[in-house]
Amino acid sequence: MSEIKTQLVVLGAGPGGYSAAFRAADLGIDTVLVDARANLGGVCLNVGCIPSKALLHVAKVIKEAKHLSSHGVSFGEPKIDLDKVRDWKDSVVSQLTKGLSGMSKMRKVEFVQGLGKFTGSNTLEVTGDKGTTTISFDNAIIAAGSEPVSLPFIPEDDRVIDSTGALEMKDIPGKMLVLGGGIIGLEMGTVYNALGSQIDVVEFLDQLIPAADKDIVKVYNKTIKDTFNVMLETKVTGVEAKKDGLYVSFEGKKAPAKPVRYDKVLVAVGRKPNGKLVGADVAGVTVDERGFINVDKQMRTNVPHIFAIGDLVGQPMLAHKAVHEGHVAAEVVAGKKHYFDPKCIPSVAYTEPELAWVGLTEKEAKEQGINYEAASFPWAASGRAIASDATDGLTKLIFDKDTDRIIGGAMVGTNAGEMLGEIGLAIEMGADAEDIALTIHAHPTLNESIGLAAEIYEGSITDLPNPKAKKKK
Amino acid sequence: MSDIKEVLVPDLGEDSVEVIEICVSVGDSLDAEDSIVTVESDKASMDIPAPFAGDIAEICVAVGDKISEGSLLAKMKTASAAEAAPAVEETVSSAPTAAPAPAAVETAPAPAAAASTTIEVTVPDIGGDENVDVIEILVAVGDTVEVEDGLVTLETDKASMDVPSPQAGTITAMHLNVGDKVSEGSLVVTLATASAEAPTAEAPVTDTPAPAAAPASAAIIEVTVPDIGGDENVDVIDVLVAAGDTVEAEDGLITLETDKASMDVPSPQAGTIKSVHINVGDKVSQGSLVVHLEVAGSAPVEATPVSAPAPAAAPAPAAPAPSPKAPPVPHHPSAAAIKPTGKVHASPSVRRLAREFGVDLTQVNGSGNKGRIIKEDVQSYVKYELSRPKLTAATATAAGEGGLQVLAAPKVDFSKFGEIEEKPLTRIQKISGPNLHRNWVTIPHVTQFEEADITDMESFRKEQNVVCEKRKLGFKITPLVFMMKAVADALQAYPTFNSSLSADGESLILKKYFHIGIAVDTPNGLVVPVVRDVDQKGVHELSKELMDISVKARDGKLKAADMQGSCFTISSLGGIGGTAFTPIVNAPDVAILGVSKSEIKPKWNGKDFEPRLMLPLSLSYDHRVIDGALAARFAVHIKNVLGDLRQIIL
Repeated sequence: MSEIKTQLVVLGAGPGGYSAAFRAADLGIDTVLVDARANLGGVCLNVGCIPSKALLHVAKVIKEAKHLSSHGVSFGEPKIDLDKVRDWKDSVVSQLTKGLSGMSKMRKVEFVQGLGKFTGSNTLEVTGDKGTTTISFDNAIIAAGSEPVSLPFIPEDDRVIDSTGALEMKDIPGKMLVLGGGIIGLEMGTVYNALGSQIDVVEFLDQLIPAADKDIVKVYNKTIKDTFNVMLETKVTGVEAKKDGLYVSFEGKKAPAKPVRYDKVLVAVGRKPNGKLVGADVAGVTVDERGFINVDKQMRTNVPHIFAIGDLVGQPMLAHKAVHEGHVAAEVVAGKKHYFDPKCIPSVAYTEPELAWVGLTEKEAKEQGINYEAASFPWAASGRAIASDATDGLTKLIFDKDTDRIIGGAMVGTNAGEMLGEIGLAIEMGADAEDIALTIHAHPTLNESIGLAAEIYEGSITDLPNPKAKKKK
Repeated sequence: MSDIKEVLVPDLGEDSVEVIEICVSVGDSLDAEDSIVTVESDKASMDIPAPFAGDIAEICVAVGDKISEGSLLAKMKTASAAEAAPAVEETVSSAPTAAPAPAAVETAPAPAAAASTTIEVTVPDIGGDENVDVIEILVAVGDTVEVEDGLVTLETDKASMDVPSPQAGTITAMHLNVGDKVSEGSLVVTLATASAEAPTAEAPVTDTPAPAAAPASAAIIEVTVPDIGGDENVDVIDVLVAAGDTVEAEDGLITLETDKASMDVPSPQAGTIKSVHINVGDKVSQGSLVVHLEVAGSAPVEATPVSAPAPAAAPAPAAPAPSPKAPPVPHHPSAAAIKPTGKVHASPSVRRLAREFGVDLTQVNGSGNKGRIIKEDVQSYVKYELSRPKLTAATATAAGEGGLQVLAAPKVDFSKFGEIEEKPLTRIQKISGPNLHRNWVTIPHVTQFEEADITDMESFRKEQNVVCEKRKLGFKITPLVFMMKAVADALQAYPTFNSSLSADGESLILKKYFHIGIAVDTPNGLVVPVVRDVDQKGVHELSKELMDISVKARDGKLKAADMQGSCFTISSLGGIGGTAFTPIVNAPDVAILGVSKSEIKPKWNGKDFEPRLMLPLSLSYDHRVIDGALAARFAVHIKNVLGDLRQIIL
């Protein structure tokens, strides 16, 4: 058993945790990073964002190649070597985690592998492959993340998988049920569909990706209607594991009368915080009944020298949120008077096409009673979208009518996630519609649609009929 | 029916002024506020305006005449007087003044009723102070009072004063109690005056228009810029009303910004704005037309233009503070007016900066495009907040650029060490503390020590005091009087000592008058009343004056005006003891003379030691203005004069 004394221990080496540790080290703080995985990067790098993007890239190219046959170029049926696909995905992950490990060493952040649990307000015990380490610390940042929610009525079976199982890519099921119409389920559904699976999606609510605005999702629905069988307002009531498959019974609006056989069921109904798994209460940190830890704007828990960041401090459970929170926590530990104070946090579903939104949605603006106006530019009017065969898209900007300032934006379409940054920046900088409309966007680009949407609000649009034009008599 | 009314010289803030121009001639028809004469004091020249409209019937002064408050200036024929007032000739003092009797009479006498009339006596202009403590009630219901009898005593931060009765009469109701807080206009007593005629004749008509038999229809009045502390060409930074707006009395009409403060010009009455005559960016001075206001109902007739209420504040004699009170801290350009939305236009980096300094961004005005708050706005806000003097005796720091950064005094719980009692600072201490601190930290002080042989002076003084007593003059000559004369003489010889640094520090303002402040220890704290024109006054006159002001000072009855305008200060601790001390220059003075206890010392006269009465002098001076050699000469000059008083007449 070894002992370590440190100024700061960061529990969890996901994007939030390693960012906090690296930032702290760069600010001159003696830092120890603890994670149960042997590789840095947490869920995001190992079994989340990154491997799924590698697979989505594959899926996208398959789809585009297929599509090209209608434009006069045929590649024939794709031959899929699943091992190679998996290797490609793993190589992406390993490249990144190795990079992180190198950066960690460079910064002299000591990494301790193992499951960390608090044993007191200033001590943490890490049980790892190489034994137990006791870490006594001045400050701690809890960045233990979250894990997929499992449903109690679903039997334990190899054929029932969560996002991690889906990314393992053991095989390509003939028919797969995606339980949950959120981002994770749809992304994995997209991958497996491209690789040949038939996908059913069941969602309890009346809309896929419930957080996004209806008009955006509507565009998405249109593009997937021939690929996914979507059952909205429907829930799974039981899963029976039989030898020839998993028999799933449904209830609700689109419920099939009889149980349906699936080769696999992907449970993607959400994630739950790991606040209860680290013994935070032993350190005096209050954890709520769901496993969330409450923090202030400096990411401080109720115990002044213990901070918490990332998924376990609340929604949205997104890596980029955790990174920024991690920086703030590290800076506060270093004595800086910094606060986590963003105006908006972007969300992206890396489906095909992508859905992306930032700031307020129309739904939220309405709920908050804001006097807003939304301006939408349909990609069917974009030359670049037409040329790129990407006309199923929409760019929507939401403005506060009192100030003309942008308060939100959403996009659906190819590469929507890549273009969202501009809208986020505009919100943070307090840009108004005129600022965006007067910013010259390159032509022809999909990104141009943001400037054009602002022109619609401004009434200066010429690429579309202008509803705000003066009426001629 | 027309009336002849006398136009008297209003309070000019000066003892006497010279008429340098007559602006009208007999028969001229004047509007209210038209100039009648131009007068010149040693400080400024000003026009004396007609208090009402009418024709000049007689001009009673000539160019070159010296006139003072109350002098008859002219007689004017007014057209509307017959209806407007009872058939008694009124003595109307010029409009922008608070008339001889400082109490404002809110209800002017009713038209010639023979029976007794009731008037309400309100607190007059007290220099803009608000919520002044009533410390004594001098009358009771049923008391008969004469004109000018004190009714209640008020105490402000600066001085205490009596509110005098504007008329003779009987107190029928008392509206105040000791401890009440009052402001200008607060009701003091209800007074039954003996008869209608008497009060009418005496009643000074203040700027409040006689309510008279005015037609009940609406009237349009001009609202002008009131006295704004003598500043000229002040920027209009905001126009708060537009034509057609309805305003209440005291609602702000425009906002002015001087280099010292920003202030709103309030509406004198409720009404509707007919027209606005000022735009943002205009420069205005006292008297500039702001708006035309239509007032409803029994408002004044058109012949009685009402200027904004403050004009009365101008040089009113009763006012302890002659200029309107500026806000305690100047309006900061980066400090925003209240933002209605709470939404802040600032980028993430600016928000972070604000967080680091604890700046509430809703309080910061954005100077960027579309009101965006940029880093510089936050920085200047912080800089300003740090440099802003916190006006308490304990925390006061220099208001000057680059304000002083000092370690906060440690908080000590003295009760740990023994019994304690916490006693609040007196108001004088609270006010003088920050000033003393500012003077101490902003003025580079040097103190020059000197000793004057006052053996002969003292024997002369004692002889003269015997004479005084014999002649029953009622005062005694103190050594201080000779010191004042000696200082006045030295100031004449060394004009640099009779100066102040200009506000920008670029020039020296040399004074041609010789007013000397005398530091007086009172039960409430240190006050410095000023004796004017010491050079022109004799020892007897000065002795008398000194006695008066000492009594006033100890009774807390000094007015602010009594404590302004000093050129040099003498702080005498000679009656108590000490061999020397280092007084703090009383800015804007540039020097101060400290006097310690005289003592008989052996002095070598060339042959042997002689017992001589020696007076220790400590001259502190502002080294930015005065060189050491000059200070030594000045001190020697005083020493020589005190050593041989005949030098003064040389």
